Amino acid sequence: MIQFSHVTVNYGYVPGALKDINLQLRDGDFTLILGPTGSGKSTLLRLIYMDILPSGGVVKVGKWSSYRITPRQINLLRRNIGVVFQDFKLIENMSVFDNVSLPLVIEGYRRKYVKRVVNTLLDEVGLLHCGDQRASTLSLGEKQRVAIARAMTRNPFIVIADEPTGNLDREASENVLSLLQRIHGNGTSVLMATHDYELIKDTPYKRIYMENGQVLPPDRTMNIGKQRIRLLTKQE
Amino acid sequence: MKFLFVLRQTFNNLWRERTPVLATILTIFIALTILIALFELSWVLYNQLYELKRNLVVEVYLKPSVPADEAEQVREKLKAYRTIERIRYISKATAADIFEEEFGENIMDILDENPLPTSFEIRLKSSFNHPEYLSVFKKQVEAMPEVDEVHYRHSVIEKLENVTEAVVMAGIFILIILVLAMNLLIRNTIKLSVYARQRQIMIMKILGSGNLLIRMPFILEGAFEGLVGGIFSAAGLIVAHRFLASTFPLLNFPARVYQLLWINTVILGIVIGLLTSAASTGHFINKVYSKK
Repeated sequence: MIQFSHVTVNYGYVPGALKDINLQLRDGDFTLILGPTGSGKSTLLRLIYMDILPSGGVVKVGKWSSYRITPRQINLLRRNIGVVFQDFKLIENMSVFDNVSLPLVIEGYRRKYVKRVVNTLLDEVGLLHCGDQRASTLSLGEKQRVAIARAMTRNPFIVIADEPTGNLDREASENVLSLLQRIHGNGTSVLMATHDYELIKDTPYKRIYMENGQVLPPDRTMNIGKQRIRLLTKQE
Repeated sequence: MKFLFVLRQTFNNLWRERTPVLATILTIFIALTILIALFELSWVLYNQLYELKRNLVVEVYLKPSVPADEAEQVREKLKAYRTIERIRYISKATAADIFEEEFGENIMDILDENPLPTSFEIRLKSSFNHPEYLSVFKKQVEAMPEVDEVHYRHSVIEKLENVTEAVVMAGIFILIILVLAMNLLIRNTIKLSVYARQRQIMIMKILGSGNLLIRMPFILEGAFEGLVGGIFSAAGLIVAHRFLASTFPLLNFPARVYQLLWINTVILGIVIGLLTSAASTGHFINKVYSKK
């Protein structure tokens, strides 16, 4: 379970990247975080894998609390979380296989095990044939599938996807969403931040709406959220 | 798998930053070579100084009026000095024999008389063969009423001691400059490698990598530069000795010293590379990570 209690984040002297966030995310849920650019979605996600620590309040992720977490524990926490980024964060001059195997190499797994896990995952995302190719030679959609495979190598309890379709065309975006849905179907929690309302409009998942560093209250959320979807779709 | 990964990353770094890496290796090679040259020079000078001091003879000339039996009393007085290792009495006749041995002519044939004074040849214990004590000893002995003059080759010893001291001081000064230069260059190469791979470092951190795994390729990179610089320097030393030892016999070190010298050159190279890169890697990685 992930819990935010009165969490605020200030970047340097700029206050209010996040303001008094109170949230609870249950295990096994597929949750969508929606909101315009700059609303604080990415900051919220970075708090979960403790890339930043809150300026105020506490974030609890499983047994770890931001209140007293050591750098060593942050590493352990990150090994239990899969993260997917808009810009994929692949090492471009490494092969696809090496990129996916990196989390396992970090933990010192044996070569045989690494090979088995990575090949299974590459097969699942439909890129087994690309294992020896450099990451830089892949299309954007393929890169995101590699990033998802990498996020799954250590069988995380949650996959965090920060605008995973932000750089992709419609078909590739749908592929990515369907991959995340399959991951969720296998019992892993998924937390996806997006402002691609069109892509997720028919999905049944829990939605959290954010604006100006705040989570909008549930009773207003649906209305405001629906209005916003229409508004943004019109503008686009 | 982790070990292979580290090795691969190390050699990737070395290949990617090959120009600064070569410059660093060259600097380490030059620095270590100068260091060895200074060490050898100091070694030779110290050996010379030691030999000179070991063979140093203090000559005590008695006044011509002092008869032989009084000379014996002077000898007893000198024996009281615990700093003296050996005293040799040289009578006028012995002095004339030495003259003949050295110059091939009998002094009596040249001058019809023997003007050479009675004297003592004194060898001091080696720890007292330094200019400060020698000058005190000279003053004390010259104060004896029977003694005319005390003489030793102080100027050579003093000059050699001054030169040795100057070489050692210059060596320490150059050593500091060279270590600083090596330090700066290795730091710079590590900095370039870290900045070239800042994206990878960031990704590895997000994936939960420990600091050691991230730092290790950079640390090994520094150690490798030190190793190669050290090997080149040791090879240079071996080649130089092969050519120079026959011309300069002073450079014929005992085999064990020579072996230790080139082994230590390589070890010194590795240690310098390792310590500098270990010290700078953490700094640059933290800088890169906090910048993102």
